[in-house]
Amino acid sequence: MTCRGCEEVRLVRRPRPLGPRGATVLLLLAAGLGSTLALGLTPSGLLPGEGGLRVAGRFLLAALHPALDYPDGPHPDWIPFGLKVAQALWRTVAFAVAGMSLALLIGLPLGLLASQVWWREECLGGGILCAIGRPLLVTVRILIALMRSVHELLWAVLFLAAFGLNTFAAVVAIAIPYGGTLAKVFSEMLDEAPRDTVGALRDLGAAPLSAVLFGLLPRALPDLWAYTFYRFECSLRSSAVLGFFGYPTLGYHLELAFRDAHFREVWTYVYALIALVLLLEAWSAALRRRVVA
Amino acid sequence: MTASFSFHAATVRYDGRAALGPIDLSIAPGEQVAIIGPSGAGKTSLLRLMNGSLRPSSGEVRLGGRDLARLHRRELRSLRSRIGFVHQSHALVPILRAGQNVIGGILGQRGLCAAARALLWPRREDLEEAHALLERVGIGEKLFQRTDTLSGGQQQRVAIARALFQRPMALLADEPVASVDPARGRALLELMISLARERELTLVTSLHDIDLACSLFPRLVGLRQGRIAFDAPRSEIPPESLRELYDLQGLRGGEVG
Repeated sequence: MTCRGCEEVRLVRRPRPLGPRGATVLLLLAAGLGSTLALGLTPSGLLPGEGGLRVAGRFLLAALHPALDYPDGPHPDWIPFGLKVAQALWRTVAFAVAGMSLALLIGLPLGLLASQVWWREECLGGGILCAIGRPLLVTVRILIALMRSVHELLWAVLFLAAFGLNTFAAVVAIAIPYGGTLAKVFSEMLDEAPRDTVGALRDLGAAPLSAVLFGLLPRALPDLWAYTFYRFECSLRSSAVLGFFGYPTLGYHLELAFRDAHFREVWTYVYALIALVLLLEAWSAALRRRVVA
Repeated sequence: MTASFSFHAATVRYDGRAALGPIDLSIAPGEQVAIIGPSGAGKTSLLRLMNGSLRPSSGEVRLGGRDLARLHRRELRSLRSRIGFVHQSHALVPILRAGQNVIGGILGQRGLCAAARALLWPRREDLEEAHALLERVGIGEKLFQRTDTLSGGQQQRVAIARALFQRPMALLADEPVASVDPARGRALLELMISLARERELTLVTSLHDIDLACSLFPRLVGLRQGRIAFDAPRSEIPPESLRELYDLQGLRGGEVG
């Protein structure tokens, strides 16, 4: 009996000219090549023209000495340059924090509802939601897909048209796609977390929600933390770029400076954003060491 | 109250294939029983039948005279909250402190909010009880230490303290010493037996180490291919039936594998 099994295994393992794996690799290569041809990409497209080269040179040169003040020095009617940058930074952070907080409020419960393990526990524990489990799971997953299939800048354009330049609308524009992405990744992390603790808590009589919140969530927590921080970093960039639509974040000043060809000022904002992201990175690394170690 | 268990022709089938039974077995209040047998013999299924986390495919399992399969889920949960269950993997929350894991034993007895408060902002009396229990299992000084910094044996002691925090009427253990070295395993089992004696708990544990079981437990139940091979006080078990229990030659002849 075992012998017949061995033969079958050998049959499956016999090398073939083009297995499914080889076919997939070939297909991927063909896709890459095909899209290059379809777009007519040639290396010459990267060669700038005469004027472009000069602008690029000026722009790169400006990186070496970013602006520390207005081009014409301090202006009596304007706030000091340093304060202006600080304000733009602060507003960028404020939009990002507000957007992420809302996104977490959306993402955590939806992530729980979209995870397999939650429904398993709910149904094993005889929870009341189990009866509508399947349809609700599908609905939640579709909702999450819809939320994150539209980019935050598109949501922002949409809200701009609907509500005008509205601060809350900008925050919601960040929160919707970020909430969806958090929910999707959270649900996958919860599904991959070890389940022994949740089983033990069910064995001592815990209700499904208690068992998941205290037995599963803490086991996934280091991963959830790390991912939330990464998304926060993304939201800082999104918040900065929202400025291109007129919100008072870094992007607003960046765009104005760029339009006026004040490249040194552009670099000031870019460096400020980089410093912000590095600061966040250091903070998240320190926190993660505490959670993991 | 101390729990008694009785099985009446209980069977367990997975996908139509018989995994356990029919089992007839009764365990009196306060007894200490070791279930022994090779892996795959059905030890875990037998234990899971006892706390109602597995329903028999046929027959019945009674706890203190009540048929577990007839209980409403809520009643079953409240019954389970009085049964300590020690798992092979300690099944603790690694990022919480040892004391918090012990207090986690009340998750089955209090609602979500009350349990969250007790875990995150423990009351003095809960902390004191957790400390006393950790002291009893020999690691009182670890009360505020993060659980994932403890050794495997210490974590299993935390799991035992958590089970005791439930004020249980029975202690079930599924291979509680499988991931601990032999000397520590023996000490853990001795601890569980003395705890069961002093608190008048019914103790049922599965073990694959026959020598440990024979030297520590007054009553042994041998499981083989889902059926009870023997059930006797340790002094009355003939050596050949112990040998048969793990006789691989005999197993291969059967319909296993």
